[in-house]
Amino acid sequence: MKGLIRCCAYGLVLMLIVTGCAKQPTQEMGDAQKAIGDAKAAGSEKYLPEDTKKAGDSLSAALDEIKTQDSKFALLRNYGKAKEMLAQVKAEAERVQTDTAAKKEEAKKNALAGQGAAKAAIDEARGLLERAPKGKGTKADIEAMKGDVKGLEDSLPELQQMIGKEDYLMAIDKATAIKEKADGVSGQIKAALEKVKAKKGGRK
Amino acid sequence: MAGNSLLNSNKKRYPGKIILLGFFLFLILPGCSAPPLPMEVGQAESLSHNLWKARVPLYAPEEYKAYEADLRRIKDDLIKEKTRFIWFRDYQSVAARLQSLLKYGEGILTRVEGLKESKRTEITGQLTELESRIRDLDRLSQTINEGRLVRRSLMKAGMTVHEAGLFLGNGDFDQADSRLRTASGYIKETEDGLFPILNRYSNTTVIARWRQWANEAVAESRENGGIAIVVSKMDRSMTLYKAGKPYKRYGVGLGRNGFQDKLHGGDGATPEGRYRIIRKLDRSKYYKALLLNYPNDEDKREFIRLKKKGIIPGRASIGGLIEIHGSGKDGMTYGCVSLDNEDMDEVFRIAAPGTPVAIVGATNHKAMF
Repeated sequence: MKGLIRCCAYGLVLMLIVTGCAKQPTQEMGDAQKAIGDAKAAGSEKYLPEDTKKAGDSLSAALDEIKTQDSKFALLRNYGKAKEMLAQVKAEAERVQTDTAAKKEEAKKNALAGQGAAKAAIDEARGLLERAPKGKGTKADIEAMKGDVKGLEDSLPELQQMIGKEDYLMAIDKATAIKEKADGVSGQIKAALEKVKAKKGGRK
Repeated sequence: MAGNSLLNSNKKRYPGKIILLGFFLFLILPGCSAPPLPMEVGQAESLSHNLWKARVPLYAPEEYKAYEADLRRIKDDLIKEKTRFIWFRDYQSVAARLQSLLKYGEGILTRVEGLKESKRTEITGQLTELESRIRDLDRLSQTINEGRLVRRSLMKAGMTVHEAGLFLGNGDFDQADSRLRTASGYIKETEDGLFPILNRYSNTTVIARWRQWANEAVAESRENGGIAIVVSKMDRSMTLYKAGKPYKRYGVGLGRNGFQDKLHGGDGATPEGRYRIIRKLDRSKYYKALLLNYPNDEDKREFIRLKKKGIIPGRASIGGLIEIHGSGKDGMTYGCVSLDNEDMDEVFRIAAPGTPVAIVGATNHKAMF
């Protein structure tokens, strides 16, 4: 009997020693926090705000788990779950960082494409104006539209500035606005040209 | 008594086994009866996420901070409670505090949603108003042929308002608001370019003078049963009167700076005053033409007065050869009044030398504004 009690006591002491050695997973905490910081630095709050927030919340939950363990009697602490959670946070944050880079690249591509399309639309409007018959009947309209095209051209440096600052999402909206307005001007010029053509046809 | 004596005898006989059993019970029993965490924890966390998603940190930062701080405190207390010995754990107080926090959070959410809705309505209203102003200015600039100075800023205004609409659609009210403020600046720039030209068109004294000139021409037509012509710059129209009654109305084109009064030769403005047709030209550079007696005596007096004042450049001449001619109404002339050729044919046939012609800015001050 005594042997059994002694055996249990040894087992208990061994268990307490093993668990009593549990330390805060500071390395894992640091790694998870750094991974979130890196994702944010890569622009995740702008490109993947929901995912970034979720990663932040998961980190808070892991830190709560650490707090829970910290509050326990030293010999009963177990940071296993916290470590697991922190590993998940780190992996999630790294995924967010990778996805952010992909999203940013896609936004950059779209912004540059938008810039190209806006420039092309302005060039088209300018070209149409240059080809427009400069008779008395169209002089006023042409002059007004030249002013319109100047206004559109003035917006291009602003668009370039946005792209330079890597503000791609804003740049996409700006480029869309410029293109739509430029298309509008081109449409007006084309309509005016059609009108002139029709008039000429009628007189013949 | 009998039970007690049995237990005592057992204790004596198996002390080690009882200790061991007690130890295992100590380890096992609490695990079986751990009270569940209050469901409000998950609800409060979910509400915290919803508050963030609804941009509460932007619209009600203090309240959001208070909610988050309170949630943090409750969670800390929950952790403390969780680490207590299982039989002493009591989440009731935490649950009650969470319920109160949930109410507070839901209140914030409702308030912010209301705030956002009113912001959306306000911005939509501003956007609609600016779009309407841009349309009016667009029309005005086209009417007075003012393409050089104002169209550039007007286009920028239109584009910025368009961007504001995109941000509004995405629920980004701050950016939308910022774009509308920028657009207002461009609109102001446009108005500053247009209004000095248009101010005369809301001046009742000037309008009264214009109306008098038009009335005199019409009265002459009524008295002699002949023709009179009234050109209204604001309406871009020319009305032909027969025996004092409107006979026909035509659309007209004006000078490059047609909405301004002519001060000197080469200013591209169309003169305002009482004139007469002095010659009919059936072969003109501009199809057919009716030459007016510009400058009349009043124009000459005004020219000398303004030259003395230095308003008109010293080397400038008074100009002349102001006509009503053909070649299209939608063009910019050097100061003449132009008509479509078909209309010119008709007017040319009816009008005769001596026909009174009143060229006025407007006869109705509400025409433009």
